[in-house]
Amino acid sequence: MALLFRFLQAFALLLLASAVVAEHTSNWAVLVSTSRFWFNYRHLANVLSLYRTVKRLGIPDSQIILMLPDDMACNPRNAFPGTVYSNADRAVDLYGDNIEVDYRGYEVTVENFIRLLTDRLDEDVPRSKRLGSDAGSNVLVYMTGHGGDQFLKFQDAEEIGAWDLADAFGQMWEKKRYHELLFMIDTCQANTMYTHFYSPNIVATGSSEIDQSSYSHHADNDVGVAVIDRWTYYVLEFLETQVTSVTSKLNLGDLFDSYDESKIHSQPGVRWDLFPGGEQEGRLRTVVDFFGNVQNVEVENANATEPGSLKEDLAEIARLVEKWQNRDEEYSAMLADSATNVTEDLHSSSLHLKLKSTVGPTKMAEDSSWGKRLVGISVVGACTAIWVAGSFLGRSSV
Amino acid sequence: MALKSAIRNLRNNPNLLYVRLPNLVSFICIVVGVVWLLLLPLNEYSRQTYISENALLPGQVHAYFTGSEQNIFRGYKKELEGLLNDGQARGGQKDEAEVTAALSDKLQSILQAAGLKVATQKYEYTSAGITHQGENTYAIIHAPRGDATEAIVLVAPWKTADDELNLNGVTLALTLARYFKRWSLWSKDIIFLIPPDSKTGTQAWIDAYHDMHPASVQPLPLKSGALQGALVIEYPFEHRFQTLHIVYDGVNGQLPNLDLFNTAVAIAGGQMGIGANLQEMWGHDDSYEHRLQTMFRGMTKQGLGYATGAHSSFMPYHIDAITLQTKGEGWEDEMALGRTIESLCRSLNNLLEHLHQSFFFYLLMQSNRFVSIGTYLPSAMLIAGNFTIMAIALWIRTGYYPESKPSAKPKNEKAPTEEKGTNTIVERNTIAERYLALPLSLVVGLHLLGLVPLWVFNNVFHQYFTTTTYIFVVVDIILPLLLAAILSNGLGVSKPIIPQQYHLIKSFSLLLLGLSLSTLATLNFSLSFMIGLLCAPLSFIPRLRGSVPFRLATSSLGLVLLNLVSPPAVLLGVCWYMGVSVETVLTQAAFGWDVWGMWTQVVVWCVWWPAWLIGCVLLGSSIF
Repeated sequence: MALLFRFLQAFALLLLASAVVAEHTSNWAVLVSTSRFWFNYRHLANVLSLYRTVKRLGIPDSQIILMLPDDMACNPRNAFPGTVYSNADRAVDLYGDNIEVDYRGYEVTVENFIRLLTDRLDEDVPRSKRLGSDAGSNVLVYMTGHGGDQFLKFQDAEEIGAWDLADAFGQMWEKKRYHELLFMIDTCQANTMYTHFYSPNIVATGSSEIDQSSYSHHADNDVGVAVIDRWTYYVLEFLETQVTSVTSKLNLGDLFDSYDESKIHSQPGVRWDLFPGGEQEGRLRTVVDFFGNVQNVEVENANATEPGSLKEDLAEIARLVEKWQNRDEEYSAMLADSATNVTEDLHSSSLHLKLKSTVGPTKMAEDSSWGKRLVGISVVGACTAIWVAGSFLGRSSV
Repeated sequence: MALKSAIRNLRNNPNLLYVRLPNLVSFICIVVGVVWLLLLPLNEYSRQTYISENALLPGQVHAYFTGSEQNIFRGYKKELEGLLNDGQARGGQKDEAEVTAALSDKLQSILQAAGLKVATQKYEYTSAGITHQGENTYAIIHAPRGDATEAIVLVAPWKTADDELNLNGVTLALTLARYFKRWSLWSKDIIFLIPPDSKTGTQAWIDAYHDMHPASVQPLPLKSGALQGALVIEYPFEHRFQTLHIVYDGVNGQLPNLDLFNTAVAIAGGQMGIGANLQEMWGHDDSYEHRLQTMFRGMTKQGLGYATGAHSSFMPYHIDAITLQTKGEGWEDEMALGRTIESLCRSLNNLLEHLHQSFFFYLLMQSNRFVSIGTYLPSAMLIAGNFTIMAIALWIRTGYYPESKPSAKPKNEKAPTEEKGTNTIVERNTIAERYLALPLSLVVGLHLLGLVPLWVFNNVFHQYFTTTTYIFVVVDIILPLLLAAILSNGLGVSKPIIPQQYHLIKSFSLLLLGLSLSTLATLNFSLSFMIGLLCAPLSFIPRLRGSVPFRLATSSLGLVLLNLVSPPAVLLGVCWYMGVSVETVLTQAAFGWDVWGMWTQVVVWCVWWPAWLIGCVLLGSSIF
């Protein structure tokens, strides 16, 4: 008997797992660089490299929100005008021909970023500047810039705190704006940024522990600046060499296992505890669940049992109706009891119930209704008399 | 109990508080101030330099100025040499080669051929009867993708700060102009300025650039944006060089941002492998002695406040500038210098805003070690503070001491504990009226008198400077005695001075001195420190009492000693020690006043000299 129960349990789990894997129906990516100025070339290169990767794995521009606070390609200091490279070999021009920057320059602010995530945007904001994710969307959020303990600097004058970010994600969850979320951040003391997250279904990873700096990987001696950060470089190396196509079965576990502290020069961190099933479950998510684009379609089949499906909603409503009916019956039963069992409290409540149960049109109180009618008639009569008299007098005067 | 009685004694007899203690505190201030300065070179008090401005990224770019550019360099040099030789054939030796019109035309045509906009500017200055005139040639590379709001200046004067012919430097500037023109990565315009010498040319140019030029200087026909930095190139010899000597002192002791110096050191040392020196310290072994020596040399230059090179003129306009001088015999050639300058220009080109991150007030003691103002300032402040403490103490003392019986005073000083009679206590507690008229007018008058030597030394013709100095030495001997005699005896002109007025004169004089020096310490630390030390004896000049021969002997000795530290005497002494003629120094000083806007003379004649004079007068009054 026990064995059978076990087997059933395992079977149910398997069913559930297979259902969850096929669950998300769209992929969105929010890629944010937060620093401007020429010497922060590498932060833009980080983001552009990732942009290129997610596009390669199939997420269309319409589902990528790219935030670039500065324009390195057109900076007069750029020895290679119109290009951005993330490697000194300059094999791939990240700026290329196909690039859509959604938020640029001084549009990249903390306010805009939070509004984007929580969709608190004016009606006239174009679709390209909106995160159109829903309860079925897997969202990748990548941020890079200069940060510190529980903050990330935006541009030159403001910063986003770890709580701000946690609350933004919390609101996203409440508004059903993501199904699962992968948060990646490359900055100094990056891991402090995800410490306050509280909404479920988030996997977070950062480049460095508290009190640790994240370093740049290498500089290009002709461009004259560092072109990419270490952690991003090695994440990209994994993505570019291992995740070669959208059919890749490599999972997040593989990605995070590829972190090599001796190469990254800081301790990257991963946070699993918000994910249902914790690390065990989270590791099984494939990389393309977040970096790729799924073509799954939500089919409203009768077997669908996941939260939010129409079927379940209807069932829930039916259950509620049933519950109310039950309660109603209980109350009437109680009312019947109260006839015999007379206590003050019970009586009043049952009376209340009774009144409630006999809700319908009722007459106003009866007392001296005729008297009131007489008063009314006399008032109307008096007014008419005054009006008639007035009009006569007015005419005679004319 | 003992403490209580001590306090009561002190209350009854504040002699200790007003007379003994200030002397002691002042003395301690001076000693601590000097010791403080001597501690600075230690590792515990100085700091390693670091690049504060993230945007600079020194040495991160590859410098490509090599190879074929050398042929261009040689070609340009040959052309210029030919014209120089023509000039020499007509007049004088090599080092006195005038910048002829042909040479100027050649510069212009070379720069024009390289695609730069060229302009010239004529100027003329007259100082101490000497006329300096010349013509600046300059050219501008407009940043191809920049917005022309900012610019960097590269200066290659025909003559270096040491008056040597800077042929290689000028040629290098021309080659770099041609080379830079072909890059399209400039965010700032680059201006190449070729003045005829290091003293006047840049000053005329920079004044005109900011429309602050006198009538004798032509305005600039061609301008660019706000200047962000300036580099001066000096390569005055034919052989290869070993190290770069970085000169950074500006007029009035102003300094360029430490980041500029650090960038130059980082690029020269780190990227190019050329050693960097400062303050002519060639064999710096990073020992305490060498650090101290470097610091003292820097302080001397800062204190004197003269322009140490073509870069100095930029400083008053808040443009950070340094001179790179090639020194020694080694294996670095003009291409290495060119690459260093290229890399420096790329770093400056990276700047997003004016250099501001690092220090403007610092003392360097090695190319990678410095102390900032917060660490060194207390030293000069303590010395300036000693005068203020003394002045306040004297002021309080004049309020409480009627001193109707002058003979009682020396006794008080000798044995304060013996004085317990009610008689003296009553006397001390009497509040005295201060007689301010004479002390105030004397102190103000003597400070105004300082304008006379200031005017004389800045306007006399240069050949009379030596004579004038000697005259002033004599004046400095006679004037205090004369004033002392008038004050002490009246001589029918005024009432004889009373002891309270003696203290008041000293108080006002020291108060002014302390105020001026502590203010000056924040602007020009070294000058304030030097003047403070030279004035230190003035705090302790007593009014002598006792027998006539004793007073005569002591005060004469004191006067002789004081005269040894009078401004003209110190000038003569230093000139003798350094082996330079007084005339040269004073001509330079007058030139500084007329052209560079140097303020050292004002401090000397209107702060130091009056304070010194009053000290002498007070000591001299002991004789009479």
